[in-house]
Amino acid sequence: MKSTFAKFVIAAAGLLGLSAPVFGHHGSRISYDLTKTVTLTGTVTEFQWQNPHVYIKFDVTDKDGKVTNWGAETYSPVVMTRDGWGRRTLKTGDKVTITVWPSKIGTPLGFLAKVVHPDGHVTDLSGGPGPE
Amino acid sequence: MSDRSNRRGIVAGAVFALTLVCLPAVWAQGRGQRGAPSPTANLPFDAHDLTGIWRFSGPLAPPNVPPMTPAGKARFDANIPGLGGPEGKNKPLGNDPMMFCDPLGYPRVLTFGAYPMEMVQLPGRIVQFFDFFYVHRTIWMDGRKLPEDPEPTWYGYAIGHWDGDTLVVESNGYNGRAWFANGGYPYSEEAKLVERYKRADHDTISITMTLTDPAIYTKPWEIGPATLRWAPKEVMREDVCAPSDEKKYLEEIREPAGRKPGQ
Repeated sequence: MKSTFAKFVIAAAGLLGLSAPVFGHHGSRISYDLTKTVTLTGTVTEFQWQNPHVYIKFDVTDKDGKVTNWGAETYSPVVMTRDGWGRRTLKTGDKVTITVWPSKIGTPLGFLAKVVHPDGHVTDLSGGPGPE
Repeated sequence: MSDRSNRRGIVAGAVFALTLVCLPAVWAQGRGQRGAPSPTANLPFDAHDLTGIWRFSGPLAPPNVPPMTPAGKARFDANIPGLGGPEGKNKPLGNDPMMFCDPLGYPRVLTFGAYPMEMVQLPGRIVQFFDFFYVHRTIWMDGRKLPEDPEPTWYGYAIGHWDGDTLVVESNGYNGRAWFANGGYPYSEEAKLVERYKRADHDTISITMTLTDPAIYTKPWEIGPATLRWAPKEVMREDVCAPSDEKKYLEEIREPAGRKPGQ
């Protein structure tokens, strides 16, 4: 549960057009449009558990059958470890639903806001990275 | 300037200030940590013992930046942060040396509150271990003086002594190739840093810094107070910057997310 202070800051930042992932670092967050999210369902093609940021590549098939390979980056392995993630959290072939803040220039890349894992559990990073 | 652009400037300034001041604190505190007083804050402590795992909380790009010299301004203007910095200075990608796995240098490495720092007091020295970039720094406590003509390094040369209950750390010997702080603030081989660590309560160390670097800044830069918060649930992990991983990430994520081909 988020503290009142954290909620206030996140709410205030949101009101001012600065929703998460304000914590993103290593030169990527300003590439993403933090005012909107995109939700996609697809199949994991690569789970990269590495610095500076963990990322997931996944294939998304549109209604016409066209497949686009998307990428969703998140925080570093050290930070994601606090959310209980590890190198086996996702694997190639996993079916996932992923919400991202998308690239401002329209490439199929985004910063990870939420993942619905194959077993249905959810990692929600929309308020920043996870517990201590 | 019109009212509208004035207002926009004020809002942008407020957003920036809020980001700098509040968000690192939230980051450092993590979820659900703030609000209720810490149950351990009132425990007894030894003011001269800073041993433990701590997380930094404070402005990432320190305010109160003094006017820069022409050479300092030229270096500052050439530094383009990719992760947030002075308004109008950000660009996707940028040229932050961190993005090439260059060493972060001191004190920048301290300021990433997502990653803990462990202080260990030994006879004659204090060692700081940094999870971020997995480096350490020695603060010599054996009475030696700072070298007059040090060989410059990324993390400098540090000595310390106790002034009452305040640990005063003086350092020099920085090579000036790192950024002093996020936002692209430079420092030079002439830099001399004085840090003051004071344990405010069981859970908190207050830090202030003074950077004197006449090649870059026209007067000393007073920074802080920032805070080191005790992080008893943390362990020191390994956050290395591996150039091959950085390159893969650059090619597959950072570059295509931030810049169209040919631009």
